[in-house]
Amino acid sequence: MRWLRFAVFILIVTVLQAGMVDILAATRWNVKPDFLLILLVFFAIYCNTSEAIVTSFTVGFAADIIGSAMGSQTLSFGLFGTLLAYLHRVISIKKIPYQSAAIFMTGVLAGTLAYLLSLLKGQPASSNVYGVIFGSSLYSSLLGPFFFLPSAWWMRMKTPRFRRK
Amino acid sequence: MTRKQTRIWVPRHNKRRAGSVSRRMVFTWFTLAGLILVVAPQNLTNKFQFAFARIFRWPLSIGRNISLSARTRQPLTDVVSRREHGQLQNHLANVTEELLQKHRKVEELSGLRDRLYALEGAKLMLADVITGSIDGDNKLIINRGESDGLAMGQFVLGDNSIIGTISEVSARTAKVNLITDPSSNIAARIVGLDVETVIQGDGKDSVKVQLLSIKHKLKVGDDVYACKKPGLLDTAIKIGTVAGCKRDDGNPLLWDVTVKPACDIKKLSEVAVVIMNPQQ
Repeated sequence: MRWLRFAVFILIVTVLQAGMVDILAATRWNVKPDFLLILLVFFAIYCNTSEAIVTSFTVGFAADIIGSAMGSQTLSFGLFGTLLAYLHRVISIKKIPYQSAAIFMTGVLAGTLAYLLSLLKGQPASSNVYGVIFGSSLYSSLLGPFFFLPSAWWMRMKTPRFRRK
Repeated sequence: MTRKQTRIWVPRHNKRRAGSVSRRMVFTWFTLAGLILVVAPQNLTNKFQFAFARIFRWPLSIGRNISLSARTRQPLTDVVSRREHGQLQNHLANVTEELLQKHRKVEELSGLRDRLYALEGAKLMLADVITGSIDGDNKLIINRGESDGLAMGQFVLGDNSIIGTISEVSARTAKVNLITDPSSNIAARIVGLDVETVIQGDGKDSVKVQLLSIKHKLKVGDDVYACKKPGLLDTAIKIGTVAGCKRDDGNPLLWDVTVKPACDIKKLSEVAVVIMNPQQ
C-alpha cells in the first residue's frame, strides 16, 4: 500500500465530494453519488485486511470532515469497511455486479448507522433521510465499479479480472 | 582437551514482527477514536471541519462555482436576470413591509417622532460560501468569522431575504444554519395575520409554519417575514412565501403551512451577515 498516494487521493476525492459533486445531483431529492463510499468498498476489496481497516476509518473520517457531525461516519464506515474486508476473504467480490451490490449494501448499512449515531449526538432528524441514503447508495453503486479502474491506476494496484475457467 | 557443550534456552521468536500491531488492536484503537469523536462536544470537533474548509477554501470555492455554473440553466430573454429580478422583488417586499410598519406606528403614536428602524444602523458583512449543504445537511460554511465581528444567532441574508442564522463561529469561518434545517426555529409573521408564529425547516427545500390555528385565513403567495429580534434584527425581513396550505393531518385544528424560501439557497455563492450595532 502506498500511503502517500492514498493520503493525496483521499484529500482530492474529499474536496471533489464537498465542492463539485452537485453537478451529478439527480432527481428532485438532489440525490448525489458518494465517492468516499465507493473508495471505502474499493479499498476493502483490493487491500489486505489490516490495510482495509485503516483505510475504512480514514475514509470515514474524511466523510465526517465534510459532513454534519464528527464521529458518526468514522465509526460506521470503519465498521462496515472492516466487515466487508473480512467478507471478501470468504466471498470473492470481483465481478462488476457483485461490486455494485457491495457498494449498495455498504452504503445503506453505513448510512443508516451513521444517521442513528448522529441522532445520538443530538443532530436534528431530517425527513426522508432513508430515501436519500437509498438513492445515494444506488447512485454510487451504479457509478462505483467504473471508478475502480482509475482508482486502481492511481494507487498502482492490480485489479485481477475474474476469468471463467 | 574436550569442549563442554552447554545448551542454552533461547526463546522462540514470535511469528509477528517486532513493532507490528494485530488487526484486532488496530480496529479497537480506531473504534475508540471514532467513539471519542462521537461523544466529544460539537464545538470541539467542528474545528476539524472549519480547518478543512479554511485550508481548502480555494479548491472548494472553485468547485462550487463550477457546479453552480453547470447547474444554471440558459437565461431567458429577459431584460434583467431572474436572480436580479428575485433580489429586487425581495427588496421591494422588505421596503413595502417597512413602510406598512411605519404607517402603523404613525397611526399609533399620532405624530410622535419615531426612530427609523431599518438596517441602516447595521453592518452587512459580505461573505463567500465555501461549502454548500452536503448530504442533505442544510448548512453553509462561509469565509467570515469571529475576527470579522460575527457571532452566534446573527441573521444571514441571501438575495435580500433571510436564509438562516449563524450557528457556529471560528476565528475566520462560520457555519450558517439554514432556515430549511430542522433545527432552525425562527419567529416569523405572515402578512395579513396579527399573530407571530415559529417557522421550522423541513430538512428539504422548504420551511413549515408551526402551530398556526385554522381560524387564521391564509392564502398561497402570502409573504412571510422574520420578526424583529432585539440586538439581532431591527426590522422585519422577508423569508419566503406561502407555497402550500392544508389542514394538518395530525391535528385538524392547525394549518400545515409550507413556506418556500425567497431565494434559491443552493445557488448562492455569497451571503450577507447582519451585524446590529457594530463595534466600529
